[in-house]
Amino acid sequence: MVKTHIVKFVGTSNFKMFSNHMATIVRLAAQQQQQQKRGMATLKAISIRLKSVKNIQKITQSMKMVSAAKYNRAERDLKQARPLGVGTKEFYEQAEIQAPPEDEKKLVIAITSDRGLCGAVHTGVSRNIRDALLADPKERENTKIICVGEKSRAILSRLFANNILFVASEVGRKPPTFNDAAKVANEILNSGYSFGSGRIVYNRFKSVVSYAVDQLPLFDKNAVVSAPKLSVYDSLDENVIQSYLEFSLASLLFYSMKEGACSEQSSRMTAMDNASKNAGEMIDKLTLTFNRTRQAVITRELIEIISGAAALD
Amino acid sequence: MSAWRQAGLNYINYSQIAARVVRQALKADLRSEALKRDEVNVKFTQWKDGKPASKYIVFILFYLVVL
Repeated sequence: MVKTHIVKFVGTSNFKMFSNHMATIVRLAAQQQQQQKRGMATLKAISIRLKSVKNIQKITQSMKMVSAAKYNRAERDLKQARPLGVGTKEFYEQAEIQAPPEDEKKLVIAITSDRGLCGAVHTGVSRNIRDALLADPKERENTKIICVGEKSRAILSRLFANNILFVASEVGRKPPTFNDAAKVANEILNSGYSFGSGRIVYNRFKSVVSYAVDQLPLFDKNAVVSAPKLSVYDSLDENVIQSYLEFSLASLLFYSMKEGACSEQSSRMTAMDNASKNAGEMIDKLTLTFNRTRQAVITRELIEIISGAAALD
Repeated sequence: MSAWRQAGLNYINYSQIAARVVRQALKADLRSEALKRDEVNVKFTQWKDGKPASKYIVFILFYLVVL
């Protein structure tokens, strides 16, 4: 019963880091059980396990504290970055830009980070891309993927290794800066891959407890120039549009990276909270079994002494 | 066509240089705070034919060929 509980604990809280550690403990405990038969002698095994679960709870609790502090900062940053993304999106909507149907080349940018232990933040983004590409084999052929963060690389390279254009790593240790986004944008422009349309897939932050996978559109210069309602904007020549598109690519990336970082921290906070709660439950159960076993050992020893004494009479 | 584009820069490079100059022109107490926003952490790995084309691997291969 205890063992299944451990499996549940590891599974629900996404515990890759500790699962190895836990597996060895479980194995050790099983060996001891075999050596010393079932029953009283597992007292030591239980106390070892109890101690390790307590340590894990301490770790998850402090990780929660850390991510709570980081989350506060990320949310503050996000508020400042929001106008950049919303403004750019508004331009695309007002001008009613549409991707030219004849140009099939597409670009998908997955915004994740290098760090795990934060629930389904990274899988959500990767799954969105995976479903879109698997649904249409033609699209799969004509789409290139850019992975921002090692986590999306790990998931997407399994299925779409040939589609990956480049990977941007070292994301997520520190809050993203505009220079980070500018560098990614620059790398995209210099990669020599020309795409008709594209999208940025990221996690949009809603509140502390919720986020959703969302996407931002990207367009080529030709699509913008031939947009039907571009005339609502005044004095646009080729140079302005080119410069604006370059800048908007960087600012959209920056905005989505901020949104992603914020949802990641909030999600890590809840994940670590759940993990601590699960560990607490486990500790309660283990303490109970520990005490019960100890009681049983005492009772057995008493019975042995008493029956030994009775045999002498 | 503007001079910076003729020099081979795009708008991102141009605005980055402008931002750096502005940060350097700030007063000392504000500058230290602004310089924190100037850093870049991202690193890139190019992928080719479904494999990461690392510069490091090229470097090792180069060594193997030379030695």
